[in-house]
Amino acid sequence: MSKKVKWIVGILVVAVLLFIGAYFVGVLLRPYSYHGNVMQSTDPPGDFTLIDHNGNRMNLSDYEGKWVILYYGYTFCPDVCPTTMMQLGRMMPLLGKKTKDVQVFMISVDPERDTPERLKEYVTYFHPSFIGLTGTPEEVADAAAPFGIYYKKQEVEGASDYLMDHTASVTVLDPQGRVRLIWPYGATAEEMAEDLLHLMR
Amino acid sequence: MVVRGQHIGNRTMSHIDPSAVSAVDSTPEEEFPEERQLLPSFGSIKLIWFVYGAFGLLLLITFGFVIFQPIKVLPRVRLAPGFILTNQDGESVNNEQFRGKLTLYNFTYTRCQPPGCRQFDLIMKEVQDRIGEVETYDLPVEFVTITFDPEQDTPKALKAYAEELGADTATWHFLTSDDPKQIRRVVGTGFQVYYKERTPGDFEFIPTMILVDGWGIVRGIYNDRIYVADADRILSHFNVVASEAAFSKGAGRAGYEAAHLFLCFAD
Repeated sequence: MSKKVKWIVGILVVAVLLFIGAYFVGVLLRPYSYHGNVMQSTDPPGDFTLIDHNGNRMNLSDYEGKWVILYYGYTFCPDVCPTTMMQLGRMMPLLGKKTKDVQVFMISVDPERDTPERLKEYVTYFHPSFIGLTGTPEEVADAAAPFGIYYKKQEVEGASDYLMDHTASVTVLDPQGRVRLIWPYGATAEEMAEDLLHLMR
Repeated sequence: MVVRGQHIGNRTMSHIDPSAVSAVDSTPEEEFPEERQLLPSFGSIKLIWFVYGAFGLLLLITFGFVIFQPIKVLPRVRLAPGFILTNQDGESVNNEQFRGKLTLYNFTYTRCQPPGCRQFDLIMKEVQDRIGEVETYDLPVEFVTITFDPEQDTPKALKAYAEELGADTATWHFLTSDDPKQIRRVVGTGFQVYYKERTPGDFEFIPTMILVDGWGIVRGIYNDRIYVADADRILSHFNVVASEAAFSKGAGRAGYEAAHLFLCFAD
């Protein structure tokens, strides 16, 4: 083999190695792309007080130190809520050891019909650790507005029951109570688990 | 021995390339104790320099990014509140109607007498009048003024005020509520705008404008403490947020996320 050929082969090898190296450096340094929307809040949106599904009064601040996931829905919800709750329920085991650091709350936007008993039966069906929250209409409004949640009663023509129109996103709070991530409706369990595990590193 | 043989073979064949001949010839053979040195010279030694070079380049790019800030963003400050309020025509308006749009909020009360009172409404008017000057990549832009004097500022009073300002109510909504608690919840707790009724009909407040993106996230706060409210700045901020919404996709997203990470915030 001539020297020239050796040089060419050598340069090719170096080029390939460099390419592979650059690829791995790139993969390592590439910022993680979250499925949800990242927030840079410097302070918590504020505390709220509600009644948990065992009938006990709770404050959001009682859960500082945990990663708190807030979902606003209601038990009579026909489609959107069960879908999201099911994904959240499937997400929990995907978190592995970190499962115990996460607390999921479903806050009822329909406090008229959602009694603590009814909420308990509903949320624990999706995951035993989930907690349902309700309160007076005033308390629920105070707990929803700061998190950007809108909800409104929708009377259905010809039906005795009504529906609730409500914001369907999921909010993640860090252990200091700051909003860190918003998942739009439709985020899957895998996507949410991946984001959470990355946030909790 | 095999190695040496190869070396000699090299030399005998190198007559094709005179430069290679001279390169080998000019070096006395004694200085090549082992062939190892000849072959890996671009392997072990130069490869490490390539790696250093690559890291150096990366570092340079990072520094360059931080110093020159090729991509400017606005921080994702906090969530804008959820609300249902009533507009100047008595229609119900909620925050979900502004999802996917850029919305500029301000807060006032129509009984406000001092000349400075309308300053922020006039800035809002200027922004609305000049919105055509700015590229928003087809993102609709809306304006919202919320009163913190709901008892006085009925829809009718707000409608008169809008006409007085010359506001285009197709995209500018003047909102009130029949429940003062709802106003407190939205303006005070939600938007975190300070206001206080000193005596009936006389409010003390910090004039504030707030830019909210299509996700319902606060991106700009304009008052005497954070950004000074100025039509030129607000218009350019509309472009900054709209550009991010338009281009933060695929590889572009990594650039925009890096801009957030390195706090490359627009002036």
